[in-house]
Amino acid sequence: MKNLGEIQHNRPLKIVAIASDCVRAGRLASLGFLPGNRVRISRVAPLGDPISIEMDGQEISVRRAEASLVEVEEAN
Amino acid sequence: MPTIRSSSRTRCIALLGNPNTGKSTIFNRLTGLRQHTANYPGITVEKKMGAMTLGERQVDVLDLPGTYSLAATSPDERIVMDVLGGRLGHQRPDLLVCVVDATNIKRNLLLLSEAAELGIPVVIALNQWDAAKRNGLRINVDLLSERLGVPIVPTIARRGEGLPELKEAIEQVLAEPRTVPRIQWPPFVSEAQAVVQNGLAQCGVEITGPEALRMVFDSDSAHAARVGHPDKVPGILRAAREKIRANGLNPASAEAVLHYRHLEALLADVIHGNRVVARTRDSIDALLLNRFWGTLIFFGVMYVVFQSLYAWAGPVMDLINAMTTGVQEFVGPLLAGTPVIQSLVVDGIIAGVGGVLVFLPQILLLFLFIAVLEDTGYLARAAFLMDKLFGWCGLNGKSFVPLLSGYACAIPGVMAARSLEDPKARLTTILMTPFMSCSARLPVYVLLIGAFVEPAHGPYVAGWTLFLMHFVGAAVAMPLAWFMNRCILKIKTQPFILEMPDYRVPTLRNVFIRMWGRGREFVVRAGTVILAFSIIIWALLYFPRSESVAEETRDAFISTESANLPATEVATALDDPESALSVRLDHRIQGAYIEQSYLGQFGKAVQPIFDPAGFDWKITVGVLSSFPAREVIIATLGIIYNLGSDVDEGSDDLRSILANEKWQSGPRAGQPVYTLPVVFALMVFFALCMQCGATVAVIAKELNWSWAIGSFVVMTALAWVAAVMIYQIGSRL
Repeated sequence: MKNLGEIQHNRPLKIVAIASDCVRAGRLASLGFLPGNRVRISRVAPLGDPISIEMDGQEISVRRAEASLVEVEEAN
Repeated sequence: MPTIRSSSRTRCIALLGNPNTGKSTIFNRLTGLRQHTANYPGITVEKKMGAMTLGERQVDVLDLPGTYSLAATSPDERIVMDVLGGRLGHQRPDLLVCVVDATNIKRNLLLLSEAAELGIPVVIALNQWDAAKRNGLRINVDLLSERLGVPIVPTIARRGEGLPELKEAIEQVLAEPRTVPRIQWPPFVSEAQAVVQNGLAQCGVEITGPEALRMVFDSDSAHAARVGHPDKVPGILRAAREKIRANGLNPASAEAVLHYRHLEALLADVIHGNRVVARTRDSIDALLLNRFWGTLIFFGVMYVVFQSLYAWAGPVMDLINAMTTGVQEFVGPLLAGTPVIQSLVVDGIIAGVGGVLVFLPQILLLFLFIAVLEDTGYLARAAFLMDKLFGWCGLNGKSFVPLLSGYACAIPGVMAARSLEDPKARLTTILMTPFMSCSARLPVYVLLIGAFVEPAHGPYVAGWTLFLMHFVGAAVAMPLAWFMNRCILKIKTQPFILEMPDYRVPTLRNVFIRMWGRGREFVVRAGTVILAFSIIIWALLYFPRSESVAEETRDAFISTESANLPATEVATALDDPESALSVRLDHRIQGAYIEQSYLGQFGKAVQPIFDPAGFDWKITVGVLSSFPAREVIIATLGIIYNLGSDVDEGSDDLRSILANEKWQSGPRAGQPVYTLPVVFALMVFFALCMQCGATVAVIAKELNWSWAIGSFVVMTALAWVAAVMIYQIGSRL
């Protein structure tokens, strides 16, 4: 299991858990980052951060620091 | 809850929705130009109000800040919750128009599902209906409307489609309130809610059920801060959250999990087809967000924006200046009878009004670009590209446009910071913008570099000096921002969340409303303050105007001139007001008046403060007189050095006078005033000091007066310290 912030590839992933109960985690949850949902890193900014995440047909950009609150595993 | 049905009270509807749903476009459509902005009391969140006509009556429309949820973690979200709860001295809205992006219904309905707790009647605008169809989504609107129990109107706000139907639905629901069914919370949530309500009741604090729920779900809720009792509340909340945790849910995401479950049941069989990221959008993104091409295009776009402010606005600004001069020349002679009034009207009021209007071309142009960049969807991409560059010091990707505008003029730059949703990044951006080297600093650099650096070190060094001077402000501002964010600002950092909207062609109507609104606001709200500054400085430079000053100067002038010329020749020359001698006498008298003015006296009195930076009293007066507008220093120096106010930075007379100026007295008597350390101290002082009344006024309007005065004091202090350091170190080398 890895966190979304450290993923470098663009293969499909599945959210396992939100690792924290801080405010930022709550924000991510309200955007739909919930266990079971499938995500994919679709783009990385030229300087390596932020990253753009495709989920459920929408594209949301977050910084890697925030993405690291989301725990993921490879989806198959 | 029954709504009050008095016909005398104006009904109020509020627009609620996620960012990027076209909420503002619907607001513009409903209210047209009948809208104004203000700040919510005590906080710097923009309050957009308007009015619309519904049948016979007028209805107030409130455009709430776009939010993803009611979790009151940011000021924007707290506003939404407070308005919906009837706090903030605002009447509770009679109806919510919930704007939902048809391409992303589930996530958009989360906010509505949360708001349903408050029991306010609802109409749903299912916006971007065309995009949903294009994306291959089929939505059973009737079924959804039946399940939610409120009217749902498909709209394409950009084209105005569906708006009449939306108004009809609003009218209908105002007459017969209909609400969205509340989520059925599992028992443990109601228990947690009761724990909070009962716990607070024991402290003597009454809160509503929905507010108690917010405190349960939001670990850092603004409500928690407001109810006080910091000794008891954390314990109460911990006990409440334990109830959630005991049922296997993370308290931070429990609300979203439960709402999404509720929504999935509501949306079953409503939406057919899977939303996919559109092919065209994907290929445009591939180009615009490309490491190489994307960066190149970004700088190209920014170059055009900058060039337009820096160069294209120029002719219009020159025209406004010429018109100001024209009005001055027309009005001046009419008031020649009373010199005080004449000077007040011509140099104070007309110059002040001209000084306000002259900013308009840049403001309108910048907001034209921002409206277009935002509406096309490019601004979000630009922020994505640039975020890393700014994130480290508390700014974010969206800070780029305001800061870049600051290089032309801080006024539109500060106003442009409104496109930043994160309050902390917005505050930091506003405070950093005046450090950017605006075009009014350029004349000072050109004059001093041309007079002292170029003759001594050649054009190559001079060019580089001028180039590097443009980065002095930014080089000081960025670390300062970092320090301020780390150590001083107590505002919580918001996660940087950026949705990439679909690419769209901007509508003229939206762009025009944005430009018109910003322009009007600047003239009405900031313009009055700028005018007041202008009149105060005029008075300080004009009074006390004793006749004896002119006479003494004249006598002294005649006696020195008579040493070179026959007295009769001097007298004839002075009889002709156009003669060279008369002009020189006029300039001498102007110089004497400024020396005798309150500002001149003040400059002499405070010169010791600037002495460690190597400034004599003349430079000090020049510096002081340029606090309302830094470009004024050229004209002031012209007057002080008896050349008249009609000099510019390229003037050879001014340059040679500066180069030959010597200390009259004191320890440095006989030495030149303008040595290289003094010149650099003076330029750096101008680079860092906030010598711009208009910027102070605009910051006061965008934030508040404490921030405006605070940043003025800090920038002035920084400028002084830097100038002193440069002079002291430079003159010892």
